[in-house]
Amino acid sequence: MTFDGSLIIDSLPRLMDGLWITLRLYVLALTCGTTLAIALVLMRISSKKYLSWPVMGYIYFFRGTPILVQLFIIYYGLPQLEFIRTGPLWTFFREPFFCAWFALTLNVAAYTAEIFRGGILGVNSGLVEASKALGMTYTQTFRKVTAPIAFKLSLPAYSNEMISVLKATALASTVTIFDVTGVARKIVAETFAPYEIFLSAAIIYLVLAWVIQNGVRHLERRISRYAN
Amino acid sequence: MKSIFGIALAAGMSLAILIAPAARAETIRVGTTCTYFPFNFKDSDGNLSGYDVDVANEVVKRIGAEIEFVCQAWDGLIPAILSEKFDLIVASMSITPDRQKKLDFSVPYRISEGRIIGRTDANHNLFNEDGTPIVEAFEGLRLGLPRSSVYDRWTDAFLPKVEILGYDSPDSMYLDLQNGRVDLIFTNPMKAHLSFLAADGIEGYEFVSPAINEQDYFGTGAGIALRKGNEDLQARLDEALVAMREDGTLDEFSLRYFPFTIYPE
Repeated sequence: MTFDGSLIIDSLPRLMDGLWITLRLYVLALTCGTTLAIALVLMRISSKKYLSWPVMGYIYFFRGTPILVQLFIIYYGLPQLEFIRTGPLWTFFREPFFCAWFALTLNVAAYTAEIFRGGILGVNSGLVEASKALGMTYTQTFRKVTAPIAFKLSLPAYSNEMISVLKATALASTVTIFDVTGVARKIVAETFAPYEIFLSAAIIYLVLAWVIQNGVRHLERRISRYAN
Repeated sequence: MKSIFGIALAAGMSLAILIAPAARAETIRVGTTCTYFPFNFKDSDGNLSGYDVDVANEVVKRIGAEIEFVCQAWDGLIPAILSEKFDLIVASMSITPDRQKKLDFSVPYRISEGRIIGRTDANHNLFNEDGTPIVEAFEGLRLGLPRSSVYDRWTDAFLPKVEILGYDSPDSMYLDLQNGRVDLIFTNPMKAHLSFLAADGIEGYEFVSPAINEQDYFGTGAGIALRKGNEDLQARLDEALVAMREDGTLDEFSLRYFPFTIYPE
């Protein structure tokens, strides 16, 4: 077999159709997951066990099982339950895109909650004590002191998660969705040239990863502009 | 230093002996998916079985070679044979003009056609009397089909208004039809008859299309694929298959799995 570079050029426009779906899935899962993570981490660091324990279980489940398995449970497993298939939730779970978004969001939330928790634990306890000495309430301290510093500390690990999720969107192709990977598999089936086509798909992911990496780097530089 | 060299040499030689084929007989490696009941699948004892497997075993026996099966997911079969992971594909692969650009095929050993299945109570009216699709009738409907297949190509060409969902296995397609995620599925009618329509506990589904078998898309049937430039092997395969058709062997294989014969006249 020979390498056919023109196939890469020819396949790019069609892969762009998939890119739109990949991007939509990615942005929605990342924003919703991160929002959910904030709620989860607040519960997780609470001293009340009825708040922290369920979150611990949730995080354990989603970090301890492959995303592919979770996606199959949501996509193929849930419709086996009568009340899902006949109930109002079916409007959502009927859609493959919703199932993929749902699985990714729950995943992002679990990982990001742990990342944020690490950030919060990393905040110097002296700062918290100083705030208390100034008469700030617990909530004020958390909002004005702990959270901003914790966010900055979490950023490197969070940017890692952002890139992981980008790559995880490729799993959507296993539940009938034509994202970048889904389209690539379809073109491979027509051209029988897996090398060239998957290479094109890889280039698209690399470009996206580059954008994310640089975005985070700018953000990091910006929020630490008073640090030194 | 010398002793290390000696050990390496001995190790190399014993490795060579281990790898060398035990017998002199020609071994032919056959790629198939191993998951496509009743054509090529693992039975409850884990043995590879099915119509494709029977045909492959018999053909290779008749040309006097040893057989070795390799299981490979459908969408990787052609890339794998091109990179010489195996020598033949016997996996219900239709002989289509597109595939013939990359591969040679034996004479067909099975018919190739597709039919669309839908819910009986949906009263679908999707095809004209002459068997051509009513393009408008497909608007707003979801059609499940095997990804990277003849069904896929035909749908792209004739049903521009339908929404396509691509599946990796027919079984998840049947499941999603039952769940209501898709309105229609486009599939191999022989398989669908056995695995779905005639299966226990399945009711309320029917074929909603005639047999679809345009040669440009469905080819002349399913055949054995091989890399280009093996005219000698191709001739031996053809000879064996023609003989099997004439002496009733293909009849026998068909009737093992179906109440009808499934090779082209």
